[in-house]
Amino acid sequence: MRREKKFSTTNRHELTRMVLRATSLNELTDTLAFGNSRGEKVAVFDLSALNRVVEHTPEDMTVTAEAGLTLDDLQTQLAKRGQWLPIDPPNPKDTTISEILNANLSGPRRFGCGIIRDHLIGLKVVLADGRVIKSGGKVVKNVAGYDLQKLFVGSRGSLGVIVEATFKLRPLPETERFVLAHCESLERAGELIESVLDSEVAPLVLDLHHLSTLNPSASADCGATAPKQSEDGQLSTVLGFAGTREEVDWQLAKACELGFSEPANLDYEKSFWVESSSAHRLSVLPSRTIETIRGLGHVSFVARAGNGVIYYRGGTPPPKAAFPVNLLRRVKDAYDPKHTLPDLPT
Amino acid sequence: MESQLKANIPPALVDELRAIVGDDGILADPAELRVYECDAYTLERSLPNVVVLPQTTEQVAAVVKLCAQHNIPIIPRGAGTSLSGAVLAVTGGVMIALTRMNKILAVDYRNRRALVEAGCVNAWITNAVKSRGLLYAPDPSSQPACTIGGNVGTNSGGPHTLKYGVTTDHILGFEMVLPDGEIVWLGSTPDGGEEVDGYDLRGVVIGSEGMFGIVTRVLVRLIRAPQAYKTMLGVFESVDGASQAVSDIIGAGIVPAALEMMDQLITQAVEAAYHFGFPLDAGAVLIVELDGLATGLNRQAERVIAICKNNRAREVRVAKTDQERADLWKCRKRAFGAIGRLSPNFLTQDGVVPRSKLPEIMRFIRACSEKYGLRIPNVFHAGDGNIHPLILYDERDPDQIRRALEAGHDILNKCVELGGSVTGEHGIGVEKIDFMEKQFTKEDLDAMRALRRVFDPENRCNPHKMFPGSKRCSDFAPKKQIAA
Repeated sequence: MRREKKFSTTNRHELTRMVLRATSLNELTDTLAFGNSRGEKVAVFDLSALNRVVEHTPEDMTVTAEAGLTLDDLQTQLAKRGQWLPIDPPNPKDTTISEILNANLSGPRRFGCGIIRDHLIGLKVVLADGRVIKSGGKVVKNVAGYDLQKLFVGSRGSLGVIVEATFKLRPLPETERFVLAHCESLERAGELIESVLDSEVAPLVLDLHHLSTLNPSASADCGATAPKQSEDGQLSTVLGFAGTREEVDWQLAKACELGFSEPANLDYEKSFWVESSSAHRLSVLPSRTIETIRGLGHVSFVARAGNGVIYYRGGTPPPKAAFPVNLLRRVKDAYDPKHTLPDLPT
Repeated sequence: MESQLKANIPPALVDELRAIVGDDGILADPAELRVYECDAYTLERSLPNVVVLPQTTEQVAAVVKLCAQHNIPIIPRGAGTSLSGAVLAVTGGVMIALTRMNKILAVDYRNRRALVEAGCVNAWITNAVKSRGLLYAPDPSSQPACTIGGNVGTNSGGPHTLKYGVTTDHILGFEMVLPDGEIVWLGSTPDGGEEVDGYDLRGVVIGSEGMFGIVTRVLVRLIRAPQAYKTMLGVFESVDGASQAVSDIIGAGIVPAALEMMDQLITQAVEAAYHFGFPLDAGAVLIVELDGLATGLNRQAERVIAICKNNRAREVRVAKTDQERADLWKCRKRAFGAIGRLSPNFLTQDGVVPRSKLPEIMRFIRACSEKYGLRIPNVFHAGDGNIHPLILYDERDPDQIRRALEAGHDILNKCVELGGSVTGEHGIGVEKIDFMEKQFTKEDLDAMRALRRVFDPENRCNPHKMFPGSKRCSDFAPKKQIAA
């Protein structure tokens, strides 16, 4: 195949930007090197052909996977050996390892499990000019050289193309249960959250949500239909527990004493994201979650109350954060001096 | 390229530094500087020209700016407990010691975070918050002395990182003086959220071995202290049995808070020094600590005991009191200190292997011990696959020095061959520079150098570390002693 043919224009982007499809790592490096030498800008990467589990060593509790693999496919393979990658972003069937890393995606279990960088131990990246670099490795503790892989998590593909990642894994919990408490007001929700944090329970999930279908502006910037859900308009606090049966039962009993008596699931999370994969995101000091939500007015939201992270639709977009602009620009220039890869959105 | 010459600092510049940090904040007399000629890696030594002991971020920035104007190397230093020569002033320069910036500035109990100065000692944080049921998780053995700034520099670990992760997992953000004197805050701010847009510059500075600037204030994450512990001591006939038990525990999906091994030689030395009651005739002992909710622990402990017994453990003791648990950990963390009973000198490595390769690397270390005729006791973070062979030698015998170095090299090469790393905690520093090319390709190293230039275009901050081709101390001064 001649190199030129690997570039194809797409009407979704301006003509100078290319969609890059790769059927192999070699093809990807060749194409990037060629495109970079001509200053071709690349907008979208299609890594769906790079979808293998490279190495899963259950006794080491590590896995190496190609970046085009979907999370669902990875978890299915890991589950056969009683393990999982503790990350739960929306739509795991359609979400690849590459997307999780590039966008730093997470889900409701982040309160107990952390975010993707906490599990990442090795990364293989193709730089803008086609050079392949590796950072970290396949051992769980490693301080040889700089921790370069951190740079690529959340970099939105602006520094290189992630092609392979190695993660440390966790055993699948023996059991996992969710309970909720409906709250008549944000004040009540705030009290409940404080009582959970002051108690001895160690939830995996500590979410607060209010999915509203009554807000016309919610769909204005997303152009999607309203979520289908039975508990329309209810403000609810959700707890999730995982571990051995004894641990989970003990915590469920404690949670019940605090007012979490209704069995629940994570359907609210699915409902929220089914509407659109994009939403505004606010990250505040966890103790300011309630007052921040109050300030948003009438919006549809899911909040990781334990983390102070709020996803919402409708209302006004969050304010722009302050960046160490000079340093960020220097990083971009160091790895992609011709700026052929997408810029980091600011 | 980094300057290859010993820095030359004119007296007028010393006066300017003195004006910034005050009379009692500067050391320039060679006798006073002697303390700063090396860290806990004593194979190489070199005096800085000047040591400054600033008390504020502004003083640090002023010192750094002045050094930038005069193109003088700067070397950040905490407590000097590095085991890889990370804070060695290879070509002299101005050493910036953060030990006087050691305050805990604020504790936010509700949001489980604390703001501390970089010179704050690791253990002080947990001591300050434990009455409220919180702790700072990374617990390197040097925690009664080492500083948070140093922990950030080396991305320190410790026994409990098996379950809780290393330093980078517990640092939310920090204030840093860049090598040009600019003050920046990277990562989450004390009253800000967890999510920070843009590149994770926080993440790349952690573990950069002080080469990107001077960290001055650190926002650390606190975690809730576990409700209960179950701390067990497995007594094994052989290292093989203990190694296999480690592999089996991990493979069974049990995540202990800590999983540490001590072989017979080190157990005997530790027992002689601290009188805990370790068996002297066991091939190896395993410290297995489970933590979490009290209700789940017993059944997990039973599984651990069964796995140990399956691997020919003679007995598994369970700590009955908090005091017994504390004593056991004290012995483990002070194990290096007991080596003096075995040998005048030792060389330690901290390579890492995939956990399933533990039995193999332990057999290899034993073979090395026989091949080079040197005793090599082992005390290490078995659950992480992070070995700490202590190669014993006598510095008065040059041939022993040579054999010790060769044995160390063989072991690290084997770690790389088994798919591991040459360092899990201690860092590259000056000690392991030669191994970088074994573990990384030219492209990998170039990408690291590119990142360094982002922060320090002049390669002036903690120069001559990590990268092959760096100037070595031995080019300036004869070797005096090989290790602590």
